[in-house]
This record gives sequence, C-alpha cells and structure tokens, in this order.
Amino acid sequence: MKALLALALLALALGITAGCGGGKPVTAPAPTSSQSQSKLADAEGRAATLMRAGDLENAARQYGEAARIAATVENADAVAANSINQSIVYQWLGRDADARDALSRVLDDPRRPFPERRRLQAELRRAIVDLALQNPVSAATFAERAAQRCAGFSCEYGATILNVQAQIALEGSHAAEAEQLASRAADRARSRNDRAEQANALRLLGKSRRLQGHAKEAIAPLEQAVAIDRDLADPRKILADLTELSLASSAAGNRDAAKDYYERALTISRALQDTRGLAEMEAQLRRP
Amino acid sequence: MNATFTPPVRFSRLLLKVNAFLLIALLLVAAFIGLVAYKQGWFVQQTTIHFVTGNALGLTKGMPVKLHGFTVGSVSGMELAEGGVDVRLSIMSEYMPRIPRGSVAKHSREAGVVGAAVIDILPGKPGPALAQGERIDFEPSRSIAEYIDDIRRQAVPAFNELKQVLVNFKGSGEDIAVSLRSLRAEMEVLPQTHRDLKKLLVSAEKAAADFNKQSNATLASIDRAVPELTTKLGSAIESIDGAAQQLRKTGEEAQGTIQKARPMLERGESVARDAGEVFNAAKRVWPLSDSFSETVDRELPIDSFDARGKALKH
Repeated sequence: MKALLALALLALALGITAGCGGGKPVTAPAPTSSQSQSKLADAEGRAATLMRAGDLENAARQYGEAARIAATVENADAVAANSINQSIVYQWLGRDADARDALSRVLDDPRRPFPERRRLQAELRRAIVDLALQNPVSAATFAERAAQRCAGFSCEYGATILNVQAQIALEGSHAAEAEQLASRAADRARSRNDRAEQANALRLLGKSRRLQGHAKEAIAPLEQAVAIDRDLADPRKILADLTELSLASSAAGNRDAAKDYYERALTISRALQDTRGLAEMEAQLRRP
Repeated sequence: MNATFTPPVRFSRLLLKVNAFLLIALLLVAAFIGLVAYKQGWFVQQTTIHFVTGNALGLTKGMPVKLHGFTVGSVSGMELAEGGVDVRLSIMSEYMPRIPRGSVAKHSREAGVVGAAVIDILPGKPGPALAQGERIDFEPSRSIAEYIDDIRRQAVPAFNELKQVLVNFKGSGEDIAVSLRSLRAEMEVLPQTHRDLKKLLVSAEKAAADFNKQSNATLASIDRAVPELTTKLGSAIESIDGAAQQLRKTGEEAQGTIQKARPMLERGESVARDAGEVFNAAKRVWPLSDSFSETVDRELPIDSFDARGKALKH
C-alpha cells in the first residue's frame, strides 16, 4: 500500500513536470516546402539539361524523380508535367510500354486535382502511345476523351487530336474519314501557326488520298509537308514524307519521280542508320 | 693741329655687330614660327572632308576629330549652307585609309555625358577610303533629356515591380505583427497559469497530509515516507517555480530580441526579395534582356507523329 501511494505521488509529480514542459516530442526535421520546391526545380533543370545533351535514358529518370518530388509537396501540375515529359522521352527511346505506364500517374488518379490542360495532355499522349502500340481501340477512346476537353478543337492541341484521329481512321482503313480529319487538322494547325502539326496533317492528307486511289492529288500536300519538315530539320519526318511521295508518284505512274524520292529517302535512312525502317520502306515500295 | 678724326675704340666694328644681332634675332623668330607651324601640323598633309548638320550647337572650330579615341584631325571650318551648317574636317592624310566610305562622324563627349566635346569617327565597312572634299554622314549627340527619357523608359517597369513587392511585403509584415501580439498575450497569461499550478500542488500536499493523519495508525511507515516525499515535492515545486520564472524571463528576453531583430530581419528579407525581384525585372530590361534566357523547358512537345511508332504502315 505504501509503495502504491509512493508510486501515485511520483506519477503525479512527473505528470505535472511533463505538463509544464508541454513540448512536442523531438523528431527529425522534415524538409521545408522551399527545400522541396528547390529540389523539384533542380530535378527539372537536370532533366532539361540531359535532354539538350541527348542523354535520354538519364533524362527520363530525372523526369521520374521530378514527378516523385512534386508528389511529396502535392504539386499536381508538376506531377503531371513531369510524368508526361517522362512518357515522351520513353517513347523516343522506343520504350512504348514504359511511356504508357508513366502516364498512369495522371490517368489512373481521378481524385487528384490535376489541371484540365494536364489531363488533356495525358489523354492525348495516351492515345498516341496506344496507337504506337497497335491498340487503335484504346487510342480512339483516349483521343475522344481529349477531344471532349478541347471544345470544337479550338484549343492548342486541336490539330494534334485531329491528326491522331486521322491516323486511327487510317488504321481502320477509313481513308475518306482520315482525309477529312487531316484536312481539318491542317486548317487548325495553319491558323495557330503550328508548323509541325501542319506538316503531319499534310502528310496524312497525302497518304489518305493515295489510299483512296487519288495519287496525283496526293503529291501537292506531300510536297508541302516535306518543305515544312526540311525547315524544321526533322529527319524522321522528312524520311516519312519522301517515302509517301515515292509511293504516291509510283501510284500516279511517274516512275522517275518515284525513283528519285526513293533514293533521297534511302540516303536519309542510311544516314540515320535505320536498318529496320529501310527494310520496311523497301517492302512498301515493292508493293503494287 | 691734326684734323683727322679717329673714331672712339668703344664703337669699333659696330655695323658688324648690329648685323650679327639682327641676323640672330631673325633666326630665332624663324625658328619660333617654324616650331609653331610644326606643332600646328602645317607641315603634315591634310585631307578635308565635310558634313552638313541641321544644328551646329556645340560644334566649334578647332574641335578635335578622333578615330578610336585617337586624334586624327580637327574641325577646320564651318559655314552656313543649304539645309544647315557645312562643317569641314581636316584629317591627317596618313589616317585617311582607316576612314572608308560609309563611316559616320558623331558628336560625342570624351567621358560619355560630360567631358570635352569631340567629333568621333565611326568607321564603316572596309572599303575605299573617303577622298578629298567628300561628304561623311553625321550623327548629332543625344541631349541629356534624351538620356533621361531613355533611362526613365527602362527604369519604370523595374520600379513598378519594386512597388508591387513592397506592397506585398507590407501585407506580410502585418502578419508578423499579429503573430507577435498573440505570442505576447500567451506569455502574459503564463504567470497566472503558474500560480494555478502552485495552488494545485499545495492542495495535493494538504490532501496528502490529511490522508496521512487519517491513516496514522495503520500507515506508520508511510508517516515517515510522506513528509520526505512532500519535501521532495516541495523542492520540485520550487524547481518548477524557478524554471517557470526562468522561462518567463527567457520569453521576455526572446520577445525583446525578436523586437530588436525584427527591423533587421524585415530589412534583410526585404533586401533579399527586392534584390531577387529587381534582378528578375532587370533581366527583362534592356540591355540585360538579351543576356538571359530561360534555361528550363518545362514541357516537351506533344507530336502526333509519335503515334506512328517504330513501324511504317500501309
């Protein structure tokens, strides 16, 4: 009994003393918001530098790291922006599946308050990746979701969405629909002075006309496309333009022009060391 | 008586002496004139070029003409002409190859806005030199009003941003004042809390003593223990009292320190923020704007071409 009373009094004393201390338990200091923002800016800066240096592997990793840091400070916009960038870099590396997975941070999290523009970008990117992965049904779904966020295709990505839909139509062998979509895309891109998408639209327009048997009408837009792509100095696109021009010229009965375009395409393909593309291009040109 | 006149010795060969004196004087004058002429560049071959200006204010005859800051000639004459004043420049011919056609004469000052006025030749693209009597283009100097206007145009955006920063900081300064007031109110309540705590402990001591009396028979040993504990509790109370007083004193000192440091912190933060804002503003203002560019590209382009994948279809 005596011991119990002593313990009770001791506990009372200790309780009062602890109450006077009133302090919170000492814990390791958490990183402040400004430190996290600084880390985020550093990661984004490193990723951009690596991109400029052409180190795509490490750039993709840095964009992933930036997205992770952004998630720790609940910066939804930065999470989305860096995830989309990572997806783009993965696709340039030929890692289409990783490109699709990177987008899941945005697309599979409907509760996080991503800005509407970021959701549109992610859906559009997903449509592009799905189409590259030979999944046109899923691509059409995501392209349609992106289109719903871009009222009347008047947003900055209107031409891109229309071009993706035109490619989906071509995948489904709906060349007439593809021509219509590509034509609208070309108009939209021209009105916004988006030369890259304008060239993409003109290339698709030429291709869809050729597939409908209007090879002669396909030449003009393809020549416009190659002129723009040469200005933009994108060898992959110039190669695609020249291949299409060769096919269209051949279909129009102009064998000399077809041979000339083919040889130009061949030179670029060899310079790019794109043996797989070269083989596929030759296979296409051998087709009737 | 001898009538022959003998001239005094003192004036012997006077004529010779006079002639020698005059000759030396003449030589000295000629040497002086030659020296002056040499210094004036009379023996240097000069090429004259000219320009016409609508306003010759500040231009004077004899004004030096400079090329890359080196004197190559001077203003040799000015006269009214059609459309303004025709100003002639005498340039030393040896420097003419360095003044090609297309060069411009500019009225400027040696130290920018202040300093001696000169005609500065800004050479044109390499080519044939200006010939005797040819005309050179002229660029009048900028007035102080023009300089001030230029500075004003460049400084106004920076000052506007600075003003905005100060307005924002005023708001944050009010927040700090509110926080300090709250802290002070809490510290003022601290003595009362301490007194209440002391009362509670005294009550506990009394209760323990009562309990001790009531159970005196059966808890004799506790009789011995409880006073000891009470003593310890009392000393603990005294320690708490001392600690609370120390805490109060420390709090007051901290408040004083915060109040003293507050203007310094405000100034430091203000200076740091202002420096950042001014730097950002300066980056957008001539002549620094061209020296800075955004280094981080936040967004990579979304290109529908990527939908082609690695295969060329159709």
